[in-house]
This record gives sequence, structure tokens and C-alpha cells, in this order.
Amino acid sequence: MIPRQRITVALSVTLCLLASAPASHGQATDWRKIQAPPLHAFHPQEPRRVELPNGMVIFLQEDHELPLIRGTAEIRGGSLNEPAEKVGLVQIYGEVWRTGGTQSKTGDQLDDYLEAHAAKVETSGGTDHTTVTWDCMKENLDDVFKVFVELLRNPEFREDKLPLAKNQADTSISRRNDDPFEIAFREAAKLVYGAGSPYARVPEYATVAAVTRQDLLTWHERYVHPNNIILGVAGDFDSAKMEATLREAFESWPKGPAAAKLDAAFEGPKPGVYFVQKDDVTASTVQMVDLGTRRDNPDYYAIDVFNEFFGGGFSSRLFSNIRSKKGLAYAVGGGIGTDFDHPGVLRLFLGTKSKTTAAALDAFLAELNELKTNPATPEELKKAKESILNSFVFRFDSKEKVLRERMTYEFYGYPADFLERYQAGIEKVTQDDITRVVSRYVHRDRMAVLVVGKASDFDRPLTSFGPVTALDVSIPPPGGAKKTEGKATNSEGKALMSKVIEGLGGAEKVREVKAFREKVKLKVQTPQGEMSLDGEGYSVFPDRVAERMTTPMGEMAMVVTPDASFMSMPTGTRDLPGPQKDRMLQELWTDPLFVAQHAEDPKFAFAAGGIEKIGDVEANILDVTANGSQVRWFVDSKTGHVVRTVAQTAEMGAPAEVVSDYSDWRAVQGVIFPFKETSTRNGQFASSEEAVEIEVNPAVDPKLFEKPATSGGGNP
Amino acid sequence: MKKLFRIVVPVALAMASLAVSVRAQDLASFEKRTTMKVLPNGLTVIVVERPEAPVFSFFTHVDVGADREYPGITGLAHMFEHMAFKGTDTIGTGDYAKEKPALGEVERKYQAYLREREKSVGRDEKKLAELEEAWQQAMKEAQKYVKENEFGKIVEENGGVGLNAFTSNEETGYHYSFPSNRIEVWAYLESDRFLHPVFREFYKERDVVHEERRLSESSPFGRLFEQFSGAAFIAHPYGRPVVGWPSDLESFSETDAENFYKKYYVPASMVVTLVGDVKASEVLPIVEKYFGRLPAGPKPEPLRTIEPPQNAERIVILHETSQPVFIEGYHKPGARDKDDADYDALQDLMSNGRTSRLYRSLVRDKKIAAFSGGFNGFPGSKYPNLFVFFAVSTPGHTPDETRDAIHAEIERVRKEDITDEELQMIKTRAKADLIRKLGDNQGLAFQLGSAQSLYGDWRELFRHVDDIAKVSKADIRRVANATFVESNRTVGMIESTQLAQASAAGKETK
Repeated sequence: MIPRQRITVALSVTLCLLASAPASHGQATDWRKIQAPPLHAFHPQEPRRVELPNGMVIFLQEDHELPLIRGTAEIRGGSLNEPAEKVGLVQIYGEVWRTGGTQSKTGDQLDDYLEAHAAKVETSGGTDHTTVTWDCMKENLDDVFKVFVELLRNPEFREDKLPLAKNQADTSISRRNDDPFEIAFREAAKLVYGAGSPYARVPEYATVAAVTRQDLLTWHERYVHPNNIILGVAGDFDSAKMEATLREAFESWPKGPAAAKLDAAFEGPKPGVYFVQKDDVTASTVQMVDLGTRRDNPDYYAIDVFNEFFGGGFSSRLFSNIRSKKGLAYAVGGGIGTDFDHPGVLRLFLGTKSKTTAAALDAFLAELNELKTNPATPEELKKAKESILNSFVFRFDSKEKVLRERMTYEFYGYPADFLERYQAGIEKVTQDDITRVVSRYVHRDRMAVLVVGKASDFDRPLTSFGPVTALDVSIPPPGGAKKTEGKATNSEGKALMSKVIEGLGGAEKVREVKAFREKVKLKVQTPQGEMSLDGEGYSVFPDRVAERMTTPMGEMAMVVTPDASFMSMPTGTRDLPGPQKDRMLQELWTDPLFVAQHAEDPKFAFAAGGIEKIGDVEANILDVTANGSQVRWFVDSKTGHVVRTVAQTAEMGAPAEVVSDYSDWRAVQGVIFPFKETSTRNGQFASSEEAVEIEVNPAVDPKLFEKPATSGGGNP
Repeated sequence: MKKLFRIVVPVALAMASLAVSVRAQDLASFEKRTTMKVLPNGLTVIVVERPEAPVFSFFTHVDVGADREYPGITGLAHMFEHMAFKGTDTIGTGDYAKEKPALGEVERKYQAYLREREKSVGRDEKKLAELEEAWQQAMKEAQKYVKENEFGKIVEENGGVGLNAFTSNEETGYHYSFPSNRIEVWAYLESDRFLHPVFREFYKERDVVHEERRLSESSPFGRLFEQFSGAAFIAHPYGRPVVGWPSDLESFSETDAENFYKKYYVPASMVVTLVGDVKASEVLPIVEKYFGRLPAGPKPEPLRTIEPPQNAERIVILHETSQPVFIEGYHKPGARDKDDADYDALQDLMSNGRTSRLYRSLVRDKKIAAFSGGFNGFPGSKYPNLFVFFAVSTPGHTPDETRDAIHAEIERVRKEDITDEELQMIKTRAKADLIRKLGDNQGLAFQLGSAQSLYGDWRELFRHVDDIAKVSKADIRRVANATFVESNRTVGMIESTQLAQASAAGKETK
């Protein structure tokens, strides 16, 4: 016999909490006089638990209301267990598991088959487990279940779906700073658990790029074993038959190694004020965070009651005082976070207009202060308990919910009657319990304060709350992992640099160049296809660039000076964002002429190493660090011409490797220039240009660098 | 093995139509569990018996949304969603006899302040500051009588969950769920908040709503949708944000709210839907007793303004530091039009799952978008609205690229019939989706109430699946050709400032 857990709902008891003066049925004048009859007895149907000899745990929950059958397999092991240099692996695994198909069918074939039957079989990666689910009409069970089993046992992780999944992962990375709430929750997790903690770290371009198909296969081999799986099935089936089907499918599956438990230490945040600058918002996102606790803590019940009246729901203190009375926030809440197997996050959060940022933070501090002297009024305690107990029935008001609860307890090794214990635990919570949990867990001086917003619009500087630590949330470009300190100069590097200077026309000629002008014919790859343009550019050392070109849309110009950087188009003028300006200056500073002029500057380094064939040319590799920017040059060993440059950039918000090849060398006033250049971006043709005319030290009209008077500054 | 699969799939597809039985979930059997009644005051009640667990959910749909606002009061319809939790003359007050005049004073002081503030000539700043101070003082005085959020507290103490409300361009909805023994408490609370509403803390709540607006202002998507809708609709209220314009959120008054409420919150415009462990025979008398108290009023005239035909493409481009997004919309008829099922079929074809055309083209093959879809009914469905296409580019790809790929798919659906397999898949999924909707009290209450409110008949929820079953390939081509033409198009894009620079200049700077 399989023991049948029964959640006996003693709702009649909880009803008594509310049963106030009974009154006649006829009045419609006062809600207090309306008596609620006892809730009729309700014994939620418990799922049947089956444990196979190989350790797989199965729950069967019959539900005949609708002709549907759904299954969920939860497999131990998730992103918490992935290596730090491959963060994102489990997310990608969860995607390619399904899209990469099974040994007998591609993912696309599965799509065709399943969608035609309005059925789903899906996989996903989570923090502590991965999941495979199915959802189908009853009559399609046999075929859909086959797909489910095939995916569990014989997935193929076809290589062609890997770039697709990585693309999705990269998209999330590139967009993760668009929404201030997302920034706040991400950074708060880092503050609480530690930036490198498995509970806080996030995928980066480099860690996503590092994931290979072999990693997915290795993961599958390591974790997907019957003894790591809990399978729940709910719907319109006969349990005996379903059990037979599942035994048939899984009983012969041999046991494998158990998933390792993660052993992490938690220290909590370093107290202080942390700030993320975000200029395109009208409101600030404010959080105060600390470590919470676990649900197997005996304090859990008191904590839930506290959370109910302090920061959850419509009647909470935070909602009433900060939203309703002060009108300071739309979204506001908080509480002591709990989780099953690790401490949750204690959090107070709100969003408020920029000019009430400090006022809102003051309001939080006042609430925390109030807790010291007034942890809970008897009324708050009573109502919070009533609220939890009277709504208790919603924890199991569908058979699928009951199933999910049981699966969760099984997964974390909690007692099967945890929900019953919860109800009993809540009933026992006293005023003293609340006082105890407040003094034990809520400590203003241990919290990290985090604000995401536009500082210049704040009502008061954040420094009025203590020293402020600015958090850098900029997204490391893809080359980030490689982009270490520039290599130090070596003697071969110095010698090679001398050769480059000779190839440019000699040190004396190089020194004389203060500026140059190029007239070019460009071919550019644009989203609309290849485009031919005429352009003219002025490069003025050390920090001015002006380029203009004639395009089908009209004349365009781009200017960078120390004071301003903008682009103007027929539709108007706009400032260039910081990264774009930096990118243009980086181009200027890695120009061979500019570098040659700084061959003796300690801020410039030259490291030679290796030889590579570029076409027919034997080229020496020279790694150049120029003003902190890095570029790799390929130097023709005979002529000293830089025939190729390779730079890692983060253009268009995306990582890119830009490779430029140079040819057609001609002397202009004694200085040697390449008249032809072709560039690729990530291996794809990007642009080519042919110089029509180059002039050294041209007359430079200052007007070239002036911002048109009609310009608007920022966005339209 | 693979060969076999290829043979099996077409056969399976041909069988698919037979695969989904609607057995006990057809309209006939559902009708047996469903009771509808119109009370003498005009209020419609729907009760669905679904005794799976001792709980019920309800929705109160009110047939008014942002569509009935005019310049100066935009955002007001949404205010009721907030005010409905502020209580009544007996809930939320310590002493209504004293609170009532105090609230009257708040309103008088606000009107005086507003009159001075709105003077375009000769405004007296000193006087204005005094008037503002007087208004703030009056609010403080009135606040003394407020029992903060008592309405929500009562609901929560009684075990209510999911207490919330929503406002759209065309309707307002209120909902939560209760244990089933609380039916009478519910009937009292829900009817009383519409019978004796007190708009206390109105101006504080207006600030809260303004904060809500800032949430969408802080999201690049929010900024894009606002500009896009504004460009697409020049006459119809669909062009205005439901949350309202900042100027109006700082101006409209409690008096405006009362006028609006009197006109639109009449029983004839309300549908109350209950789903769960309830018996119609027991519940209807209770509902009649409490909701029957609401005084009847004339159903407001329908909205007159119809968006005129668009005769030129409109384009809005936002230059943002965030990543690019592309959206374009085409005007089409409203949900009550005979062609609505054709558009729903088109949506399914374009957007639903990994077999959808936009996923396969933009996401799977071209890899230029992380997500792409085409959706029927933006920003609402009651009135003539938009069919919109949407794409979120992957890093390094521009909105222009996603647009071209979307246009290629639109051309395909205009020029070529969709396949038999696709048409069958759409119909199979429509049936299955309906069944999946039936297993949830709250979802059902919403769907049925919405259908009743929009079509005057909750059965439309079921009939719509029959309408989709009748859609032909020719229908899809016909509506695609009628709708997806350049002059009928509005485009909205976020161009990343970095991206704009890179694609306009198109070359490496050196």
C-alpha cells in the first residue's frame, strides 16, 4: 500500500476566527452581520506515489474533468551546478534539449508533429533542476508520451540549434539593462549572495560563447538518471494503466550517479548604499536587502504572518503607509524571503518618481524604525492569521496544485504533510513570535540599500544616507574574457615598430603629420544591401575626427571632439552615446600614424610574437596597446606595411571582431598610405573603401567641428 | 527511421481533425452548468457551476474603459480600478458623517487651486501657493477619518485571494476569489462598492497612478507603444494611453470622477460572472438581493468616433540607448466583424509556436530576431483595431532587417494559399485551446464575462471556435490582401543610438 497523505482541512476551525455576531439573513446593511456558513468538508485528492526500483519517483493524479493529460519530469541539477566559465550552459541546454531533437527525429520534425496535434513537449533549465513536460489531448497520449521518453533518454542536441539558443541568450544579455526593475533585482541578488555566487551570477557573452555541444551531452550524461527524476502526471487517465505504461517505459533504465548537492556559504551583503546610474528613466527603483532564511526554520510560520501584514497584499503596512497615505509609489512591498534549501532574500522594494527617491527611502527607514517599538499590533496579528488561514484552501483548490506541492516537498526532502504542518504552525503564531523574528531577521544596519535611477533628478543626494558605492552594470563585450591587460613591450616588438615607421615613410615624415584628409569611395554593407557612397574624412591628431558622406538619404556627418560628439543627418542632429565616441577615438588612436608618433610614449606598448601568412605576404604579428586600446597588427616583414588589423569591438550593442586588410600603398607628400581597405565584421563583409585623394596637413575649417545650431540635444 | 517519420507525419496531419474530441466540453454540456440572468435594473449575472473545490472566482465587467475619456480627463477610467478599493460610506471610514463634509472641503479647495493654476494670464504665484497649501490641509483633515484599505482587509481576512482589477481601452474589470462559504459576504462587498462608493484619498491615488505611468515610461517598450498607438490612431481613443497623459493626471478632479461614474457605472453596463463551487439556485437570489439595490440608469450611447481610413504610411522612430525593437500595425475591423476569425487564424499561423511562420523565418532560419509574432487586436478588440507585427532583434541586427523579413512573410500570405496542414493545425489548436481554458475558475469568469460584455452573449467563447473551423484558405488571403497594404500601415521602431550611427555611417571610422 502506498500511504495516502490527507490534508484535512479544518476550515471550520479557522472559520470560527471570523464568526462574529450572527445576524438575521435579511439585512443588507452591514457586512459584519453576514454570517458565513461552515465550508463544507473537503478532502483534496492526494496523488498516488510510486517509487521504481531504479529510484525514479512518480506521482499519479487522476483528474477527469477535461480530456487532457500533462506530465512533468523534474531532474536534479541546474544552473547552480554549472561551471563559472560557462554560466548560461543550463539555459542553453534547456533550449537545445528540445530544439535539437531526438536521435530519430529532428526538433523541427517534432514541432510539426506536436503542433499539428495541439500538443506540447517542452524542456527547460532552471536553477536547481531541469524540466521536461508534456501536455496533450488524451487521445494523443501514446505518441506524445513516446516523444517525451525519447527526449529524456535519447536526445541528440543537434549542433545547428546551438547558435540559435546562444543567439537567444546573447539577446537577453544585450537587453538586460533596458528595464530598471530587472537591473535592481539582478544587482540586489549580487549584493546579498555575492557577485560570484551561483545564486547571483548571470550569463555573459564570453560564458555563453564557451558552451559547446559536448557540454550539453556531458551534462545530460551526468544528471539525467532515473534516481534524479521526480515525475508527476495529472489528467484524464486510469492510474493503474498509467503506472503500467510508466513502468514499461522507465523500469529498465539503470540507475546513475546522484546529483551533487550544492554546498554554499551565505554571508549576506556588505551594508551600505549602492547606486546604479540610469538616465533614461523618470522614476527610481529602490531596494533594501539582506539575507532571509529557509522554510525548514521553525521561525517560518511567524515570518509568513509577519510578511502578510508588513509588506504583502492590500492591507500591509508598506502598502497603506507608502502607497495609499503618501502616494509615493505604485509598486511597493517586501518581507523576509524564505526558500526551501537556501536562504531567501529579505527585501523592501518600491518604485517612485526621481524627485521623491530620498523621501521614499526615508519612508522605508521610518517603517523599519517603527518595527523596533511596534513589531505587530494584536489586530495586525489576528487579521494576518485570518487572511492566511481563510485563504488556505487556495493552496490545493485544484488537483494539479496538490500534485505540484507534493512534487516540491519530495524534491527538497520536506515532509509530505508540510502543508498540514504549515496550517498548524500559522495557528500557533503569537505576538512574541513576531517580536522574536523581527529582532532576529530585520536589521537596518546589515542591509544594503540599492537605488537605480537618475541621480541629477533626486530630491536629495544619496550620500545623505551614507557613503555611496557606484555599481558598474555595463555589459562586458564578448572579447571581454580575452581582453586582459595589454601585453608588455618586448625587444622584438620595438624592432618591428621601427620597421612599421620606416614603412610609413620614416620617423621624420611621420612626425610632421598633424592631420590628414581622405576623399574616398565606399562600399558599405547595410541592412538594405550593399550601398556605394562618396565620403570625405578629416583626422586631426590627437582627438578630432570629422567625417561626412553623401548617402541616398542625404548628407551625413559624424564629429568627435573633446567637447562634443554628434552625428547630423537631414532629419536632425543627435549626440553620440559615450561608447560610440570612445570607439571612434579608439580608431584614431590605433591609426598606425598616430601610434608611430607615440613609439616612445610609455602609454603605448608593442609586443611581437609569431608569423602568419596573409595572402602571399609573410606577416609578423604585433600586439599594440595604444592609450589603453588594443589592436593586433600584421606587419609585412619586407615593407613594414601594416597589411591587416584585428580589433575586438562592441559595436551595435553586440560583440564583434573587426578585421581590416590594407593594400595599394602610395606616397602622399612623403608619407605612405594604403589606398585600399576592406573590412569584415565577424567574418562578414562590412565595407570597402578606395581613396580618391589623400592630403597631409590639409587646411582644416573649424566649422567642420561645430554642432549645427538647429540641433536638438538628445532624443526627439 | 527518419524516412518513416516523414511518411507518418502527413498521415498524422490528415488525421488531426479527428484527433480532438470536444466530448463533454462542447457548448451543449457547458450550457447545462451555466445560468444567465438579467436583473430588473439591467445588470447581467452569469453563474457557472464547477464544484471541483470549495472556492469560487468572480469578475465584474463594466462596459467602459479609456474609450470614453476626452482631452483633460485621460487616465480617469483607470482611476476607478484604484478607487474601487477605497471603500464605501461604511467601509474605510471611522466616521462618515464627519468625513463627508471634509471630503467636500477637499474638493472645493482643489477646485480653487486648479482654477488659479490653470490661468494662462495673470496667475498669482503667491496666491497659488496658498491655495495649494489650503488644499493639502483639507486633505490632511479628511485623512483623519480614513480607515486605510479596509475594503481590501475585509476581503483578505475572509480568505480572498487574487484581489485586483484591470482597465483596458474598452472595459474595466474587478475580480478576486473566495472560499465558497463567503458568497454572501462577497455579494454585499461587491455590490456595495458600486452602490455607495466614496472616492476618498482621490488625489493621493492620482499620484499613485502617475507612478504607475512612470513604470511604463521607464520601459523602452512602454515608450514605443505609446508613440506607436498615437501615430496609428488620429481620431479614435485607441491612440491615447489608458494610463493617461501626465498633464491630465495632475489635473482631473474628484468631481470629474463622480460625473464619469454616474454616467457609465450603470447596471445595464455591468456583467457579473461567478464560476466555481456555487449553485445557481442558491446564488442567484443572493445576487438579486444585493445587486438589485443598484439603481437603474440608461445605458450610455455607443462611442461615435470611428477611425477614418488611413491613406498614408506613418512611421515613428525612437532613438534610445536600449536595444532595437520593431512593430508595425495595419488597421482592420473590430472583434464583432464577421472576419474576426480569419484574423485570429492569421495570428495563429504567424505566431503560435515553433511552426509559426515568423518563428521559422526570423528566429530559426535568419536568426535576426529572438522573438517575432503577428497579433490580432491591438490595442483593443471591440472597435476597429490593428493587426500588429512585432520583432525583437538579436544583437547586431537592425529593425530594418526584421521589417524586411516580416514583409516577406506578409507577401507570402498575400500571394500564396496557406497549406492544408497549416489550416488544419490552426483549427485543431483553436479547439484544444478552448478546452484548456475551461479548467480554471478565474480564467473562465474572465473569458465568459468578457464575451458577454463584448458580444452580448457568453456563448461567443464557444462559437468563435466554430467560426475558426469555418475559415478557408481563400478567407485568409482575402483579409491579408485587404489589410496588409502600405498606405494602411503604421511603423514604430526603437533604433539603438549605437545602431543608428553604425547603419547610417555604415563604415568603420579610422
